[in-house]
Formats: sequence, C-alpha cells, structure tokens
Amino acid sequence: MTSVTGAALSASLGASVLAASAGAVLPRRIRPVAAGIGTAAAGAAAVVAGVAAMTGRSWSAWLPELLPLAGVRLAVDPLGGLFIAVTGAVAVCAAVYGVGYARPADGHGGHGLDGRTVQAVLPLFVAAMLLVPAAASVSTFLVAWELMALASLLLVVAEHRHRESVGQAGLWYAVMTHLGLVAILAALAGLAAAAHGESFDRMRAAAEGMSPAVRGAVFVAAFAGFASKAGIVPLHVWLPRAHPEAPSHVSALMSAAMVNLGVYGIVRVGFDLLGGGPRWWWLLVLAAGAVSALYGILQAAVATDLKRLLAYSTCENMGLVLVGLGAGGLLVTADARPLAALALTAALLHVVNHSAFKTLLFLAAGSVLRATGLRDLDALGGLRTRMPVTTAMFAVGALAASALPLGNGFVSEWLLLQSLIGSLGEGGTITAVTMPVAVGALALSAGLAVATFVKAFGTGFLARPRTPQAEAAAESPAAMGVGMGAAAACCVALALVPAFTVPGLARAVQVVLPGQDAVAGQVTLRLAAASSTMSPLLIAVGVAVAAAALLALLRFATTWRVRRRARLWDCGMGPMTARMEYTATSFAEPLQRVFDDVLAPETDVNVTPLAESAYLVDSVSYRARVGDRIESRLYRPLIAAATAVGEAARRLADGSVHRYLAYGFFTFTGVLIVLAVTR
Amino acid sequence: MSDVTYVRLLDLACGVFLLAAVLVLWRRDLAAIVRLFALQGAALAALVTVLGVHEGLDGDGAELVALAVGIAVLRAVVLPRLLRRAVADGGEARETEPLVNVAASLVVAAGLALLSYAVTRPVVALEPSPAVHAVPVALTVVLIGFFVLVSRRRALSQVVGFLLVDNGITAVAFLTTSGVPLIVELGVSLDVLLAVLVLQVLTARMRAAFGGTDLDDLRELRD
Amino acid sequence: MSGSTTLAGTVGAAAQVVLVAAGSPLLVGVMRQVRARLEGRAGAGVLQPWRDLRKLLRKEAITPHGTGPVFRAAPLVLAATALVAAGVVPIATTESPLDGAADLFAVTALLALGTVALALAALDTATAFGGMGASREMTVLALVEPTILMSVFALSVPVGSTNLGAIVNSTLHEPQRVVSPVSLLAAVALAVVVIAETGRIPVDNPATHLELTMIHEAMVLEYAGPDLALVEWASAMRLTVLLGLVANLFAPWGIAGADSGWVALAALPLALAAFAAKVTLLGGALAAGEVFMAKLRMFRVPELLAGSFVLALLAVAASFFLA
Repeated sequence: MTSVTGAALSASLGASVLAASAGAVLPRRIRPVAAGIGTAAAGAAAVVAGVAAMTGRSWSAWLPELLPLAGVRLAVDPLGGLFIAVTGAVAVCAAVYGVGYARPADGHGGHGLDGRTVQAVLPLFVAAMLLVPAAASVSTFLVAWELMALASLLLVVAEHRHRESVGQAGLWYAVMTHLGLVAILAALAGLAAAAHGESFDRMRAAAEGMSPAVRGAVFVAAFAGFASKAGIVPLHVWLPRAHPEAPSHVSALMSAAMVNLGVYGIVRVGFDLLGGGPRWWWLLVLAAGAVSALYGILQAAVATDLKRLLAYSTCENMGLVLVGLGAGGLLVTADARPLAALALTAALLHVVNHSAFKTLLFLAAGSVLRATGLRDLDALGGLRTRMPVTTAMFAVGALAASALPLGNGFVSEWLLLQSLIGSLGEGGTITAVTMPVAVGALALSAGLAVATFVKAFGTGFLARPRTPQAEAAAESPAAMGVGMGAAAACCVALALVPAFTVPGLARAVQVVLPGQDAVAGQVTLRLAAASSTMSPLLIAVGVAVAAAALLALLRFATTWRVRRRARLWDCGMGPMTARMEYTATSFAEPLQRVFDDVLAPETDVNVTPLAESAYLVDSVSYRARVGDRIESRLYRPLIAAATAVGEAARRLADGSVHRYLAYGFFTFTGVLIVLAVTR
Repeated sequence: MSDVTYVRLLDLACGVFLLAAVLVLWRRDLAAIVRLFALQGAALAALVTVLGVHEGLDGDGAELVALAVGIAVLRAVVLPRLLRRAVADGGEARETEPLVNVAASLVVAAGLALLSYAVTRPVVALEPSPAVHAVPVALTVVLIGFFVLVSRRRALSQVVGFLLVDNGITAVAFLTTSGVPLIVELGVSLDVLLAVLVLQVLTARMRAAFGGTDLDDLRELRD
Repeated sequence: MSGSTTLAGTVGAAAQVVLVAAGSPLLVGVMRQVRARLEGRAGAGVLQPWRDLRKLLRKEAITPHGTGPVFRAAPLVLAATALVAAGVVPIATTESPLDGAADLFAVTALLALGTVALALAALDTATAFGGMGASREMTVLALVEPTILMSVFALSVPVGSTNLGAIVNSTLHEPQRVVSPVSLLAAVALAVVVIAETGRIPVDNPATHLELTMIHEAMVLEYAGPDLALVEWASAMRLTVLLGLVANLFAPWGIAGADSGWVALAALPLALAAFAAKVTLLGGALAAGEVFMAKLRMFRVPELLAGSFVLALLAVAASFFLA
C-alpha cells in the first residue's frame, strides 16, 4: 500500500542517505554543493510528507527485518506530520545556506566545514530528526533519538580545532543529552513493560488501565528527558553552550528543529500514549514552562554574545510552548475541551513560528560570524551598510521574535494569551490562581523579548562599527542569502496569513483531542472558545496604508525636496567616535540592575592609583560578567560531588591485578551467598 | 439601603482597606506609612458601619455602628497619633533599606493575595454572602502585615505591620460573623492600645541604647 | 449587521481618526496651558503645538551623518501605528469596521511597535544620548507589559472577549459595573500604564532636556524639521489615543453604539464632542497632577510599575473570586 506520505518520507530518507554518501566520498570542491542539494531535496520531500500527513493522509509501515529483534515500526499521523514538515522546512533553509557557509571566506570562516565528517553527518542528522516523529514503537523511537543525539554531537564539535570552548560545550552536551536519553529510556521501557508490548498502539490501548503511580512515574521521567532536549530550565545548561558553538546552520537545525522534538515527545507521551493525566502533571509542565520563559529571556536580555542570546531565546520560546501544553492539559482535566484545543493549537503554532524565525536568526547570525569572525555584540555594529541583505533578514527575524504585530511570533502569543485568559473561570481555584500568574510571566517575557531583540538588532546591525573586523565586513555569498530568504518568506507568510496553517494544526490537535476546531477564519482569526478576534493581515494593511498616506501628506505639506546631510549633535566637542556609542552591555544595564537579585552579576572594579599618591587615579578597569546562575548554583555543586566520589573511588584502584581479580571474586561469592540465604 | 448599594459600598470599603495595606509596602516615608494606617482604620470603620446599617439600625446593627465609632476613634485617630509622635521623636523618617526591596515586596503581596483567595475558597463556599466574599481581602491584609513584620527594619514599620495584622483579623471577624460581642471587641482594642504603648516605650529605649531603631541591632543583645 | 450600520461605523472610524489627528496637538496645548497657569505663567496658548508643527514642517529635512533607512522610517512607523490605533479604538463609535482586526492586546502591541521603531532609530544615530534613551525606554516598556496584559485580562473576564467594541458595549449595557472593584483597580493600573507609555511625570519628563533624566527626548534628539514634526505629532496622537482608551473603557457614555440607520450617523457629532470633553478633562487632570509631582528616579520606576501590576493582578483575582 503506497500513499503520498509514505512515498515522500521514503524519498526524503533516501535523499538524505544519498547526500550523506556524497558528503563522504566526493572531492572537496563539489562536496558541499552535492551534499547541500541532497539535504535540501530530503527536506523538501519531508515537507511534502508532513503536509500530506497533516491533510489527513496518515501512513504506517512495519519493516521487521531492518532492526534485529523488534523491527522498525513507522507511523505518520498529523501530529508527527507537523513536526516532520517543520523539520523538513528548516532543513531546506539550512542546507541551501550551508553550501555557501562551508566555503571559506577571506581570512576566516569556513573552518573546515567542507570536511568529510560534517558533510556526511549533516544529512544523517536531518534523517534522524525526521525519523523521531515517524517512529511508532519504543525501539524505533529510541534508535532514532540516539542517532539524532550522536549526529548532532559530532556536528557541535565540528569546529573544535578552532576554538577551545567547543570541546567544553561538546562535553556538556554529551552528558546532558545522554542523561536525558536515560530518563526517556526508563520512561518508555517502564511503559512498554506495563503495557506488555512496545508498539505505540499497544501502549496507547493499555495506558488506561495502569496504576496512577506507574503513569505518574513514566510521565515525570519522560518529561525530564524531553524537557532537557527542549532546553527547559533547569535542564537547559547544555543549550546556551552547545548552540552557539555549533556551526551556524547546525545551530539553526538544533535550535529550530531538534528542540521541537522535545515538545513532540511531551505531547506524544503525555497526551497521546498516556491519554492525559491528573492535574499535577500539567501544573508541573506549566510551572517549568513559565520559569523557563522568564529565566531564558532574562539571560538573553543581558547576553552580549549574539548566538548565546539566540540560544537563550530558544529556552524562552520552548518555555512558552510548554505553558501552552500545561494549560491545555490542565483544561482537559477541567473538561474545558474547546479551550484546551485552543491552548494546544497556540502551542503548536508557536513551535512552527519559533522554528521559522529562529532558523532565520541563527542563519543571519552565522552570516555575521562568517563575515567578521565576531559573535560579540559589543564589538559589532554598522553592518547595515556593509551587509544589507543579512541586516534585512535579521530585522524580519527580530520583529518576529519580539512578538510584535507584523511579526509571526505575535500571532501565536496572542492565541496563547486568549487561551489563558479564557480559562480563568474553568477548573476552579487552581486555574484561577495559576492563569493570572502564567499571564504575568508570559507578559514579562514578551516585554523582555522586545528589549532583547531591539538590543540585538540595534547594537549589532545599526549604528557604527565598533571594531576593525566589523568595519571590514562584506556581504555573504548568494547561497546563504537564498537560505535566509526562504526562512524569511516563511516568517512573512506566517505573520500575514497564519490561517493557512490552521486546518493542519487542527488535525494535529485532533490526534489528542478529537473533534475540536479551535480557530477559524481566513483573514480574521476567530476562536471557538472565546469571542475575541484579530486579523494580522488587516493590521499590516492598515499600517501600510497609514504610512503611505502620511508620506503623501508630508510631500504635500513640506516645501523642501532634498534632505541635507548634517553633523550629529556632539555637544560642540568635535566628531563622535564609535567608542561613545552605547554597547549591548550598556543597553542592558538598566535591566540587569532591575533584576539584580535574579541574575547576580559579577562585577569587578579595579582602580590603579598613581605611584606618587594613593588618591590620584591612574586607570580604572571595570569588568562585569553575567553567568548562568543555575549552572553555578545547581550543577557546579553536583559536579563537585561527583568528582569527590570519583576521587574516593580511585583509591580502590591501585594498579594491582590481584586486587582487581579479588574484587570480582568477592562480588561473585557475595552474590552466591545472598542467593543461598534468600532462597 | 438596597442590596446593590450595600454590596457596592462593602466592596469599596474593602478595596480601600486592601489598598492601604499594599501602599504601606510601597512607601518608604514613615509619616506616609502612618497616614496610610490611619486611612486603613477609617476604611475598617466604614466597613463595620456598612455592615451595621445593612443589619438594620434597630437591632444588632446599632451595636455594630457603635463599635464602628469606637474603631474609628481608636484606629484612625488615637493609634496614628501615638505613632506620629513616635516618628516625630525619632530621627529617622524613612525606611531606608528594607530586607526585601520594594518592587519584590509588591509582587510578593500579589502572590499573597492569590494565596489567600485560594485558601478561603472553602470558607466562602460555606456561606456565599457578599460579606463573606470579602474575607480573602481581610486575610490578605493579615498576610501583608505579617510580611511587613518580616521584611522591614524600622521598629515603627514593625508596629504598623503588627497593627495591619490586627486590622486584618478584626475585619475577618466582622465579615464572617457579622459582629463580635461588644465586650470582646473592647478587650481586643484595649490590648492593642496597650501593645502599641509598650512597643512605643521599647522603641524609645532602643533609640536611647543604639541610636537607631533597626531591629537587626537587637542581635547584639544575644551575646 | 445592516448596511447603514456599517456605513455609520465607517464614517465614525474615519471621523475619529480625523479628530485624533487634528485634535491631539490641541490636547497637548491644553495640558501645557493648564500647567503654565498652575505654575503662575501666562502660557503660550492652546494653539502653540500646531504653530510649532507648522514651523517645523517648513524647515529643511536633515539626515545626520551615519544614519540610515531605519532612522528615516521610524517617524513614519510611529505615526502610522498611532493612526491605525486611532481607527481601531472605540473613540466615537463601537462599530468601527477595523474593530475585529485588532483587539486590546493588538492595539497595545501596535503602539509598542511604534516605540520600538523610535528606539531603533535612536540606536541608529550611534550617539550616547540615543543609546541611553533607547535603553531606558525599552526597560520601561518591558516592565510595563505585565501590567498592560493583566489589566486587559481583568477587563475582558466579565465580557468574555478582548475586543474593544465588546468591552465598551458591555459597559454601556451594565453601567453599574464601572464602580466594581475589578474596574476600579484595573483603571488605576491602566492609568499608570498610560503615564509610563506616554512618558509623563513621574516616569519621564516631557519638558526636560537634562541628560540624567530624559528618556523619550533623548531618543528624538537628532530629529529636525518635518521628521521632528512627525514625531511630535505622533506622540501627541498616542497620548490622545491612550487617554481616550482609558476614558471610554471606564466611562463610555456618549459613544455611538450599535444603533441602526441614520440614528447612528446623527449620534456621531455628539460622540465626538463627548470624547473631546472627556479627553480634555483627563488631560487637564493629568497636567494638574504633574505640577505637584516630581519625576521618579529611573530605578524607582520599577517599583511604581510593580505596584500597578499588583493592582491589575488584584483586579483579575477580584473578577474571579468576587463574581
């Protein structure tokens, strides 16, 4: 039995394998082009497969001979299709971009990204990410998940020869991702054992009759594992390290496609396989999401490394998605299903929107990195005239990420707010207390996101270059422009006519909440659960018409036709230099001060007096660093404790072979004695 | 008095009552804090008056109104005057560095309000009359008063915190039972007056001993 | 919805845009005049802002060195968002054809978009003043956002919708709701928001050019001529729209509702007059209040905003628990 979905998915996987082999064997000169085209084709086919699944053409297959013991079991429903389509679209943009990005720039950039490893692993990474939402049994899922983790790990450390910090980031990532895998493995294995079968269908059918304790344990373990992949605080520590250090198109794939699969896992296990759960599950999800949103955006607001800022923004957005999921689950327990469907739709739409703008932002950041070798916003500036295309692209992404009208982030945040507001009266005291707090967290994170992206765009791209490297920047090759352009087109389409995603999203939501249509309308979005309406297209048209009218009015009212160029106001002291500009650090200083208690920045002021007198100052140096407080307060002690245990254990191993054999002997006899006693 | 006006006035009195407590957290000026406390006393008196008038002036209501007059005299006039004198005597006119900063205190107050709404749900459900509906407001004031005790340094702020707790408890009593026996209320009021006098003396002695009323200085007495 | 209602709505929306566009400089004039009189000065007269705008429009347009398209487009975006907001907000009619396009969230977000454009323009000038203004403005914007959304939340709960027309209509039908605790708390919270968003005392001082204190003025320091005229005019429109929003959310009387036929059209002039009176009154009160207040330190502003957030949160809680 063949269907569009199955055929397209197979084509996509085939194309990625071809691309991977092309990356492994072809000569360096044509390798990036061939692998890039192959990966883009795989992505495009995946988009077709995903969209086909979202229009209702589900597909499933069982390939018993492919994997020993269990075989490979695949099934694509609209929910999985959504994530396949998103991953495919991100892959298309990143692959086309990667063709240009791998080519060495003058002086820097490239960094051996056209090497065999990167070119062969990247398509495999994409294929693994497509397999995860298509998997329909525990073994298939875990194999795909681990393949994805390993492939991404190899890609993260691709540039380890060029920067010290890459190794550190790789280590953090490797440890965290495998701890996450252990949690997921435990959860799914536990579920499979309780269900006496490892296919998702079997588990779905058996979940109803399980004891609440088992279900709760499975959910908590799965949530921890998937949340660490999605970068949810406090399991996020790997994300702001690994995403910035990876090559930029890989960062885009990780930040816009891979983290989504954490969300997918939570929806699949929590809503679908377990069929929903008690209130405390969803309060946990909601709280984790709200904390993550606030903490992530706060760190992003004070970050000066452009890619680190984007990585923290990923934590924020995944937090917002989790707020939606948590609210949805909570509303299901309160039996307010239309509102629950609205919350889930908002969360899934936010996944799509976030993928679109985060791809664009990471690709644009990569373009800057390639042209200048810089990620530090304090050293950038003035790229507007030097890299006009990249600047325009980043502007589109930044508008979307700051959740303002005319950007796509606004639409999903609006839906999310509507679902939270509508649920005040549903579900008694718990929702009445939770929802206002959630709205407050959402609002503060939205406000901080605006400040964050004004900072990123305003100090990084506008104004004047602050260093010679930024001064010497030149526009990136066309392939990178095309990759960014495709992502920007997605952003614009999602911002103006989000309604085209609505039928597909509705089907995806119906997988877990049958029979609900949360959002309707073509130009104006109408909600089934509340009477609020909003039309992004009309707002955009209104602003455009008003601006055009004003322009005409100005032409009519003013007499001068030529603009005169003039000096900036410099208080009569002579021309301003770039050193007088506000930097990203100074821009964020007021916020850092307001949230001093949360961020706990380290500041050093060193005053060096003149030799003659202690009262005459020779120089003052000021250094401020905002670290990740969760890392230093939670993980450092854990690591220190683990190291101490390790050190203690070393005393057991002193190099004597007899001693090692004795350990084995004593253990063996010990077990036998225990057996003898207990039998 | 019609039912609608009754509810409206009751809500208004409760609103002012709560607002005064929240503003105590916001203001640093001790004189302003005392003024706010006086305002809260007046709001409490108004609240009791409204309850009394609603009961009907010929029955229990008259007693309530009499009580309201007493409350107004004590909490809106006498106690604030005592406190004002304490402010005037002492050098410090401001709560300079509260242990929890002002913005955070306000957010905490919001959290406390939600908490008290949540915990009083069963009480409200028991007898959903308009007066009982306002119990969470009174409980919030109790909690805010407690929070003031925890987070403010000056002895005078502490006294106000204590008085906020007392105001809140009084309001809870009136709102849930629509009236406390006159004799009980009189006793409580005398207790409060006595406590304030004692605290005032204590404050004066502290100032004499340490030159300030930062309560953290009391730590020195331990060793 | 009958044809004539739509007609009345369209005419009403157009009329309110014209009223805001023409009247907002007068509102600023009135506010300055009130201040001047209270401070014992004669004042420049109510028409002075219009005279200023005319003077600025006749001047040459200036492009400072090193500024680009963002700097030039920002005044346009600022003014365009204010105009769209003026068309959506129920000022004279609740039946604006744009009402369904943008709810209360969208309107506030739209105004924030204008602020963002101006902040980016300020950063584009690469001067210390511009950066300072932008940084402070964004800090205030970020902290004001929770209060805005929370007040919207409180106002929408009794109505079940965040559409402005729906909220105003429901207040018209149930006038006693205005004096409920929900509405009073939300009103105070929104008033603080308006003060912060329009840069009035105690958050910002619209009359200062002292570097330590200015926020909005620091951002527009490099503008001159017609660009400056546009910025000033847009700021006045934002002030009018926000004051009008507060006025009509809490005292919508006089607004033209969903009457049918020519009645609706006939009600428009009255509605416009009522709106002008309400906004003038509010603006005058605001200006009078400013005379007695000092500007807060930048780092005391978060306390003010936290306070307003608490009020808004209490309003939400009250809307559920007192219902």
